[in-house]
Amino acid sequence: MLELKGIYKWVNTGNHRTFLLKDVDLSVKAGEFISIMGPSGSGKSTLLNVIGMLDEFNEGEYNFLNEPVHKLKEKQRSALYKQYIGFVFQAYHLIDELTVYENIETPLIYQNIKSSDRKAIVADMLDRFQIVGKKDLFPTQLSGGQQQLVGIARALIANPKLLLADEPTGNLNSKQGEEIMNLFKQLNHEGMTIIQVTHSEKNAAYGSHIINLLDGMIQNN
Amino acid sequence: MFRNYLKITFRGLWKNKVFSAINISGLAIGMSSALLIFLWMQNEWSMDRFHKNEKRIYLMYNRDKDSRGETWAWPNTPKILASTLKKDYPEVEDVTRFNNITFLLSAGEKKLNKRGAFVDSGFLNIFSFPLLEGSPKNILKGSYSMVLTEKLAKALFGNEDAVGKIVRVDSVNNCTVTGVLKDLPGNTQFDFEYLLPWDYMHKLGWDDENWDNNSVKTYVLLKQGASASEFDSKIKDITINHTKGSPAASTTEVFTQPLSRAYLYAKSGNGKLVGGQIVTVRLFGIIAAFILLIACINFMNLSTARSEKRAKEVGIRKVVGAQKYSLVFQFLGESILISVLAFVIALFIVQISLGSFNQLVGKQLSIDYTNPLLWTFSLLFILFTGALAGSYPAFYLSAFRPVKVLKGAFKKANALITPRKALVTVQFTFAIILIISTIIVARQINYGAERQSGYNQNNLVYLFTQGDVDKHYQAIKNELLSSGVALSVTHSANPITQRWGDSWGFQWKGSTKADEKIDFLRMGSDAGFVKTMGLKLVEGRDIDIYNYPTDSNAILLNEAAVRAMHVKDPIGLTMHYTGDTNMFHVVGVIHDFIIESPFQKEISPMIVFGPGLDYFQVVHIRLNPEKPASAAIAGVQEIFKKYNPMYPPEYVFADESYAKKFKESERTGTLAALFAGLTIFISCMGLFGLATYMAESRIKEIGVRKVLGASVIGITSLLSRDFLKLVLVSFVIAAPIAWWAMSKWLDSYTYRIQMEWWVFLFAGIISLIIAMVTVSFQAIRAAIANPVKSLRTE
Repeated sequence: MLELKGIYKWVNTGNHRTFLLKDVDLSVKAGEFISIMGPSGSGKSTLLNVIGMLDEFNEGEYNFLNEPVHKLKEKQRSALYKQYIGFVFQAYHLIDELTVYENIETPLIYQNIKSSDRKAIVADMLDRFQIVGKKDLFPTQLSGGQQQLVGIARALIANPKLLLADEPTGNLNSKQGEEIMNLFKQLNHEGMTIIQVTHSEKNAAYGSHIINLLDGMIQNN
Repeated sequence: MFRNYLKITFRGLWKNKVFSAINISGLAIGMSSALLIFLWMQNEWSMDRFHKNEKRIYLMYNRDKDSRGETWAWPNTPKILASTLKKDYPEVEDVTRFNNITFLLSAGEKKLNKRGAFVDSGFLNIFSFPLLEGSPKNILKGSYSMVLTEKLAKALFGNEDAVGKIVRVDSVNNCTVTGVLKDLPGNTQFDFEYLLPWDYMHKLGWDDENWDNNSVKTYVLLKQGASASEFDSKIKDITINHTKGSPAASTTEVFTQPLSRAYLYAKSGNGKLVGGQIVTVRLFGIIAAFILLIACINFMNLSTARSEKRAKEVGIRKVVGAQKYSLVFQFLGESILISVLAFVIALFIVQISLGSFNQLVGKQLSIDYTNPLLWTFSLLFILFTGALAGSYPAFYLSAFRPVKVLKGAFKKANALITPRKALVTVQFTFAIILIISTIIVARQINYGAERQSGYNQNNLVYLFTQGDVDKHYQAIKNELLSSGVALSVTHSANPITQRWGDSWGFQWKGSTKADEKIDFLRMGSDAGFVKTMGLKLVEGRDIDIYNYPTDSNAILLNEAAVRAMHVKDPIGLTMHYTGDTNMFHVVGVIHDFIIESPFQKEISPMIVFGPGLDYFQVVHIRLNPEKPASAAIAGVQEIFKKYNPMYPPEYVFADESYAKKFKESERTGTLAALFAGLTIFISCMGLFGLATYMAESRIKEIGVRKVLGASVIGITSLLSRDFLKLVLVSFVIAAPIAWWAMSKWLDSYTYRIQMEWWVFLFAGIISLIIAMVTVSFQAIRAAIANPVKSLRTE
């Protein structure tokens, strides 16, 4: 599905260069569930953002579904991830002024899907996550677990091929965290490719594959 | 997509109620102030511009030098000018004279004192005052025809058709109504409720053919294609040529002023019409623009401050697939929508405040919703404001990489605080200028009001002599005195508070050719002038035709006249008009008193004539102070009614009439105060918003400082200090500008205050206090917040 070859990313502080990612090679096949682990500052989130095309890299090649991402323009890249990638964040990042329903609907609006079709798609999703009763509530009226559920529903609404999750359970208690991880596992069984960043050995174990990152370099594969 | 944006806009506004209220109402107040001024300016601009022939109509002006060698221009012309122009100059299509009068009109039982005008038959041909009935061609022919406005026709005849009806004018003549005019629009300088033919004035014996009696306005309609400048050069010496060889040979030149400039450019500067009302119109235009600018600045400041809170939303939207253009569309749309909302509120504010504003400016303004100019102007303004305010979040935030925005990385980019500080400085500069101006205007008015008028205004009333008052004057006077209502009565040429006429061309023993140019204000009295007015007699005695039969040619001079004439011993001096044998002899000198503007430092020379020269139209009465004013007035009315039953006795108190001299400057003062208040208010809103933003963006710093042991007072002063610095900078910029502008303004008054440093200091302190109160609320709130909370959110 995607392939990173010799990816470097750095920042210059003064005349000193700090590497965030150093010679990262990674290939992910469709249907995999990968957990990226590593201590704080090891470059986990940076790697995830590079994969999600939210962040640039300085050197290397990145092919996503046979498209050379490193050669694409900003607009084409954004069209690519808009269609194929869904994001889940540690802090949920829901829009506070929109209801659960409207938050989930937003990606569809940007994909220019007709209003009547949007209704049907969002209704299916609410049904699937069993949050129909909460559709008119605002994010602040929900618990953390529920908010993350909405976040995942929003990530899935546009039917992506790849789900990226940056410490999805980081702000949740263990019970809520477990529920979310079970949901991920189930999604993976249904065929969704998932890459998650996590601190927790336990959560990493849900994945089919663990990548350990240290100082921007992959330690094992 | 659009509905989604609308929803988020309104929810956002609702969620931040205080913020939204400040933002929208600030903009709305700014817009409504600008709209009011715009309406006023439009009215000023359109003054007498609606006449179909506007481009071909000219007002005739005179130009001459005074005794000091200064050249003046004035629009009062000889009555004979009009007929001469029409007779001798082929490019003149039509002419009309215009002379205001007030007559008692009666129809049946109705009796009304109304202001009208004598005009030539060409008046309605030249000017476009639409007739509801009658045709303009023949309407003012003959001596006893008359045209009424609709309002007056209604007042006299109710709903009956007025045409063909008889109106008794001044209870001496009957005039037939030959036409009814639509009521005059609000944007005309002409002031009349009825028109009478010039022939009527001729029949009354008020017409004359003297080239040196400048008393009426003359309007000329030039033929299509005629050149005004050629016409000007031909008529320049018309008065000089017609008086050549006579003893009173004139040096007065004649020129034309286009009607389109007649209202706005009526102030003479070195004999040219250089300014006047246009200065005020421009000044108000500048004020309107500044208030709009300040409101815009606010809106931008507050919107951008708030948009940083919305950075998260921008980030999320980008992550879930928003393109830059859709974010631009969303934010621009949102701020334009808010502008529209503010505009609707502004229209509402204008509608409800228009009544009081009209009273303030003395006009009848209304919003003409069919005026395309208004809509174009408003639409452009809404788009401009909305786009400007929305541009920061729209273009700046949406350009960020989403990850950075979500992580809050952009918060380091505090670059926008500097321009915001600049904007706040601009606002406060303007506010301080207006505060200083308001104080100086108020002090100047007060200065004029406190000036000694030179006579006793209390218990002094005057009435105009109408009908039989002249005939029974002696009886009326005797009865006023014997009944104890009045202490003293004088019959005089004009009211003590109004300058009506002036004369030059006098000679006396030892006078030079230059002295003939000395211009004397004219007053007149039969007897008891000094006593009735409460004047001081410097030397000699008062005019008294009852005890001194030769006093009909006696005159009083004021001290200014004596100074101008540089005579040592004025009593007994004889004076006469150049080329005239009628000799006037000086019997007394009176102390200077104010008859013109109290803001004019030099009191003009004045001659008070005995009854030999002037037709006396006013009775001044010094009421008995022992009696209550109401009882005294009732007594006066009763006596006048007894001898002059046809006319309702209408009296004027001298002090009230004098107070009208302050009306214009008081209007300026009230407007200055109003706009100063609004500007300060809007600026404070902006400052409040900025303080909120600053406190929020420094929340982490405040938290850290508190954890390290900073006190509430310490943090409050830390947060307030920056703003107070801005106000100080504003003050430094504002003070010299205000100084310059106000010395310009004060220049238009010769009797004026000195600008004092404490006014500036006071304005500075006031604005500091206002700013401090506004800012400290936010600062204290931020300072007392729990640091644990603020540190956790980061």
